[in-house]
Amino acid sequence: MQLGTMAWRTLMRNKRRSVITAFSVGFGVLLSVTFTASGDYAYTNMINTSAVMGLGHLSVEHPDFRDTPTLDKRLVDAEAVQQRVLQISGVTGALVRIMGQAMFASGAKSVGGAFIAIDPAQETPAHNIFLRTLIEGQCFSAGEDRGVVVGAKMAEKLNLRLGKKLIFTMTDKNGELVSELGRVSGIFRTGDDSVDGGVVLLPLDLVRKALGYEPTAASLVAIFLEDHRAAKTIQGDLAQLWSRSKEITVLTWQESQADLAGLIAVDQLFNYLLQFLVGLVIAAGIMNTLLMSVMERQREFGIMMALGMMPGQVVRLVLLESCWLGILGLALGVVITTPWFLYMTRIGLDFSGQIGTDYSAGGVLIDPVMKFRLYRESAMWIAWAVFFLTIVAAIFPAFKAGRMTPVENLKQG
Amino acid sequence: MNNTPLVQLENVSRIYQQGKLQVAAVTDFSLEVQCGEFSVLCGPSGSGKTTILNLIGALDEPSQGRVLLEGRDLAQLGRSDLARLRRDRIGFVFQSYNLNPVLTACENAEFVLALQNIPHAQRRQRVMAVLAEVGMAELAERRPDELSGGQQQRVAIARAIVSRPAIVLADEPTANVDSATAAAILELMERLNHEQGVTFLFSTHDQRVMDRAHRLIHLRDGRLERDEVRG
Repeated sequence: MQLGTMAWRTLMRNKRRSVITAFSVGFGVLLSVTFTASGDYAYTNMINTSAVMGLGHLSVEHPDFRDTPTLDKRLVDAEAVQQRVLQISGVTGALVRIMGQAMFASGAKSVGGAFIAIDPAQETPAHNIFLRTLIEGQCFSAGEDRGVVVGAKMAEKLNLRLGKKLIFTMTDKNGELVSELGRVSGIFRTGDDSVDGGVVLLPLDLVRKALGYEPTAASLVAIFLEDHRAAKTIQGDLAQLWSRSKEITVLTWQESQADLAGLIAVDQLFNYLLQFLVGLVIAAGIMNTLLMSVMERQREFGIMMALGMMPGQVVRLVLLESCWLGILGLALGVVITTPWFLYMTRIGLDFSGQIGTDYSAGGVLIDPVMKFRLYRESAMWIAWAVFFLTIVAAIFPAFKAGRMTPVENLKQG
Repeated sequence: MNNTPLVQLENVSRIYQQGKLQVAAVTDFSLEVQCGEFSVLCGPSGSGKTTILNLIGALDEPSQGRVLLEGRDLAQLGRSDLARLRRDRIGFVFQSYNLNPVLTACENAEFVLALQNIPHAQRRQRVMAVLAEVGMAELAERRPDELSGGQQQRVAIARAIVSRPAIVLADEPTANVDSATAAAILELMERLNHEQGVTFLFSTHDQRVMDRAHRLIHLRDGRLERDEVRG
């Protein structure tokens, strides 16, 4: 007779109580999956949305560009960097871009804003949210050297329509003001007014020429990854690759978009705290059940000790009962969570009625449909956390069972 | 030849604290039990029989005096050593059987052997032989709630003797069974004592048990009243 089998049978002696306790563990799994999977989905969505707004999951740039983003700081051979990056596994795209500040003027008015100079031959909607959200016209083509794409809000402010002229003024690599003329080829609407009123897409070659850049120069190469969680690893690989160059640095999305990273970190912290508190409540329930079970069986423990069972074996027996309770709870948790998880993965809950479709946080648009996505490590983490809490909850009852002397136990019952 | 008594109690007292009161369960009690004895501690309720069995069985500690088993002073042993001693050298038979309800008769009987880490096949073989000895082989796979009181006590006896202990301590083993079953159980124990030399020490106030004992140790108010050895 193994202790594990004995523990299982003991647990099944009071089936109703064990199943009710296991259900509370299962409910803990449901709550934990809900918190974690909604977080995994929302954070991934925010990170990926943020990436396609310009900087990618990783950005290769001049080391001083982040702190003082003037246009004299550039990658002289950005195209070579791009080609090298594309050879790395896990990279789905690498795009050469120039990003900076400019003054935009039409015949009616002028406003300040940001520009992203792109190569239309390489950009795709998958890596560029502005191309994905075009509401009028289209992106300028490779041969169209004076096309510009503006946000709907800016078009409204400057009274722009398709084909209208837009003058943009910026500081070149030598610190001189330079101006160029473009014509509106497309208008986008992301839903975020600050973005729609402040961002303009410009042709890369035109901006290079205006800034006095070399033909392969750019301010950054935006890198897109299959999985944003690989950013740190790939950053390490790339940093090693260019360890000798003082002109190149690689930033992860956490470094280049510190506001977003901070927002996610704080939200995650509250999420974990909430889960911990829920876990504590459930653990208290498990402890209560096991304590009752131990108190009811004191005489039984006394008999086992009289027969030669070591105090440590008694402790182990109660801990094993708790292990079984944890396993049973996890299994029930999977059963009750699966339909909810599948619904939330496929359909989700639409909160657009409550928060609208243009809600943004950390400079990133938030998807109003709450959905689930659970990474394998998150699922493993939940399983271990639930199991760990179940064991922790059993420690006091187990030691109580093992601490008493046989004769004390035998006097009970 | 080793003449050390199997059990020695030297001027043993056991005092329990009950609130502010001190209650002496056993007072200045001395006893020696030799190998192969079939002895009975007898006396009315509260005379200290169970306390003495608990002290000999290393379940309780004396307030004064010494308890020695095979010459070893139990006070010198730690909790784990005492557990090992109970596992390897002492068998217990309790008044209300106290079989583990989640284990079958066979698993109950092999419990001590499992604690001794004896391989499964070997312990199964030994347990089946002992269950056959006590007439329970046919019911080996039944759980306690599927057995009568007498059958449960037989399994309890099997559990007590399967590890071949130096002594079996039986606390009122016939108290909860009918006369016929009590007689059968006593016969079984007598046979084990006679054929296998198992030492038994009972506590009882059942005249049927006393009638079969080779030695009657009479207790009153926690003290030795009379030690009567029969032929």
